[in-house]
Amino acid sequence: MRGLLATLRNAVAEARANRAALVSQVAIMVVNDIVWVVFWILFFRRVGTVRGWDGERILLLLSVLTCAGGIALGVLANARRVGNMAVDGDLDGVLALPVPPLAHLLVRRMEAVNIGDLVFGIALFASIGSHTVARTAVFAGVVIAVATLLTGFLVLTGSLAFFIGRNEGGELGFHAMVLLGSYPVDVFAGAVKVVLYTVVPAAFVSSVPARLIEDFDVVRALGLAGVAGLFAFAGWATFTLGLRRYTSGSVWTRP
Amino acid sequence: MRSRLETWITAVPNLKWNLDELFGEGDRLCAQFTFTGTHRGPLRDGRGNELAPGRKALRIRGVGVYVVDAGKIIDSSIYSTSAPSEARRGRRNSCASPTPGQPRYGMAIEVRHLTKVFETGRRRSLRRVEAVDDLSLTVEAGERVAYIGPNGAGKSTSIKILTGILHPTRGEATVLGVVPWLDRRRLAARIGTLFGQRSLLWFELTPRQSYRMLAAIYGLDRAQEQARVGDLAELLEAGDLFDLPVRNLSLGQRMRCELAACMLHEPEVLFLDEPTIGLDLLAKQRFRELLVRLNTERRTTIFLTSHDVADIEHVAERAIVINHGAVIYDDDVTAMRRTLLSTKLVEVGLSEPAELPTIAGVSLLEHSATAMKLSVDTTTTSIRCVLDTVLDGLPVVDISVLDPPLEQVIAAIYARPRR
Amino acid sequence: MTGNRWAGEAARTAALRVLAERGGLAVTLVFYVLVTVVLASLWRAAVGANGGSVAGYSVVAITWYVAMTEATTVSIRQRLISDVGRDIGSGAIAVELLRPAPVLGVRLAGELGHVLPRLAACVVTGGVLSTMVSGPPPEPAALALALPSLVLAVACNLAAQYAFAGAAFWLRDAGSAWFLYQKLVFILGGMLIPLEALPDWMHRVASVLPFRAMSYSPARLASGHFEPVLLVEQAGWLVLLLAGAAAIFRAGERRLQVVGG
Repeated sequence: MRGLLATLRNAVAEARANRAALVSQVAIMVVNDIVWVVFWILFFRRVGTVRGWDGERILLLLSVLTCAGGIALGVLANARRVGNMAVDGDLDGVLALPVPPLAHLLVRRMEAVNIGDLVFGIALFASIGSHTVARTAVFAGVVIAVATLLTGFLVLTGSLAFFIGRNEGGELGFHAMVLLGSYPVDVFAGAVKVVLYTVVPAAFVSSVPARLIEDFDVVRALGLAGVAGLFAFAGWATFTLGLRRYTSGSVWTRP
Repeated sequence: MRSRLETWITAVPNLKWNLDELFGEGDRLCAQFTFTGTHRGPLRDGRGNELAPGRKALRIRGVGVYVVDAGKIIDSSIYSTSAPSEARRGRRNSCASPTPGQPRYGMAIEVRHLTKVFETGRRRSLRRVEAVDDLSLTVEAGERVAYIGPNGAGKSTSIKILTGILHPTRGEATVLGVVPWLDRRRLAARIGTLFGQRSLLWFELTPRQSYRMLAAIYGLDRAQEQARVGDLAELLEAGDLFDLPVRNLSLGQRMRCELAACMLHEPEVLFLDEPTIGLDLLAKQRFRELLVRLNTERRTTIFLTSHDVADIEHVAERAIVINHGAVIYDDDVTAMRRTLLSTKLVEVGLSEPAELPTIAGVSLLEHSATAMKLSVDTTTTSIRCVLDTVLDGLPVVDISVLDPPLEQVIAAIYARPRR
Repeated sequence: MTGNRWAGEAARTAALRVLAERGGLAVTLVFYVLVTVVLASLWRAAVGANGGSVAGYSVVAITWYVAMTEATTVSIRQRLISDVGRDIGSGAIAVELLRPAPVLGVRLAGELGHVLPRLAACVVTGGVLSTMVSGPPPEPAALALALPSLVLAVACNLAAQYAFAGAAFWLRDAGSAWFLYQKLVFILGGMLIPLEALPDWMHRVASVLPFRAMSYSPARLASGHFEPVLLVEQAGWLVLLLAGAAAIFRAGERRLQVVGG
């Protein structure tokens, strides 16, 4: 544990040292997020309420999504790189140390640009609706749960590279999740909706958390926590099993 | 030590025994050995204890632990190998664990029939690459071993298996008694690794910041960390480098800081994989001196892979040469130097065609109207003698004495068949 | 003329390459289907919740609208601006300047060759999906106009992106410009929202900007509104954008010769 905290501290220091294009990159992130907000505001101004979703709820959705995404991509920045690291043999450094490999890997690196998303999400949440301690607590809780889910999902799809030798799944699945998660799940119908609650759990990434903040329900909260835990476990298990097949860049000829 | 042990175990026909590990602190030694054999009649050890009393014929196989103090056995226990955990516990209880800096005995690295096969390509065009093929070797604690081979010989693969990064396809290996790929984290706390192409230090930070993180990972408290960093700064003459960002260090300076990083936790074995790659000659020399110093002062086992033969000459006491995934040469460096590194080349420029007089130990490699290239076996005849003969007897305009290209020496070794 | 022959060759090579990389085409199609289904679901739900019409678009119309805007966006390589900017920054462009054909012409032709197969695949897929999900195109005549409009749309988009990327002759990194550019197209180009659904003042601003030629025009036509003037508009914007991009590249070439690669 001490080791993990020390590593995290160094990751922060490293991110701060690398401040070159940071401001402009964060600015772009923020602009990107603002444009999404503008879109939704324009949309709901025109169409009113759609299947129970209105402007405020969609902004809650966005705030959860950007915060959790910021954590999964910004704080635990190696989560999205697991596939590449597996295929390029970059895991040697972690394996040479007496540390739990996945945990160390995740805290080893921070991506300052995505921290901008995190900040934006918090600012967005702060600017909508009533601010009660309970609501804020639920917000924090769902953000952590969703971040866990996203990280687990990223590690899971990345770890498949151990088995297929190439990092193909990788970020595609993640982008699909984020894309689908950016929309209220009730907009979709039938089979698609089922998929979004199961295989590609985009519903749990944003729609379910947003509803929880507005209207807390223990059962649904446990459901969210359960799904998050499931994906975290699946990611960890796949990674650990994959390590046995790790080839570490020893083989230069690869497909 | 072995001979003393032999007198303590009653000479028993058909009993084979093998010394596994020996720990020592002054006169107090702890020996662990395995034995197997068949014996009829009572079997006693040096203290007169009867092993398996009442049995007439024994097929015995076990682990014995003896603790010896000032020449006297003060404790002994015999365990059956079906209870290895008991043996380990017994050993832990009876023997003092080795303390850093104390003379260490026993096997640091043991490899038996190690094989690693990589499968690449898709189903239709599956290719099997045997990176390591039935590799066997042993390294005793405190040795300095150079592990030499051409590119693709399997050096990096075998070292990665020994450090727990890769899982082998077949075979066994232990490092400090631990199976690397099964017990990776426990082993990682006791060994150090320095891979030339991978950095232990964080690029944007200072070495000291990296050391603080590594100290936390290895479980050193602040006081220990400060002491160790101070020691290493002195030993490696790198104190003024520790507070500069790694980004600003030259390669040679960085490698010294990397060496400190992998020594921070006082590992018993140091694995180095091509650590001098990219360094200039002076930096390489300094690095080699530091490795030797680490070994002589702290008895750290050094296992160095390289395809630079100069590393054999200046660091290693023993050289293991590997090619095509298996050992093809394993001997003391002095023996190797005698038999393989004793050739010198003499290039002679002539003003007019001439014939070379016969000299013992000299063979003519190339001969043209204006030049000659000779190969001299310096164990047979001295360079001085050859030069005298050539300068006296031939119309020489230019002469130079060269070491044979290292590639030639290595090529001679690589061309040998497997042992 | 040498220039045209070069352009034709470049386009042919690029098209062959695209057809050869079937995998990339498949990925593009999958992505297209994904984003189209998502956005179309959103708008269909919205139209449904508003009594069957939003800003004059019925469910059928809005489905076709989304299918076409996504086709124009997805078929263009996402990293175009950063790649061109990188080539400029690294000096690779300088090498191309040595060739006898105009740099911009060759590159644009090549890109078009790359884009058109993808565009065709997306449009066909989008058409099939829309028909299956909500019915045939509301106005076949308008759809016929939409086909050339689609080509004009991507051409405008490419020209504009090259103009943007040309900033790399002066700045070192044009990559960040791409983000802003894409967002402008999304909102003011009618990609995410039909322009009629924007507040009046925004609609008026969008009407005078080139972005509507890149996304909105073909979608408007395909969604059943027979408005041939849109094609004229697109052609006009294309000419302006090409001239602009050419001017920037010419100025850039001059700058390279002065400053050096």
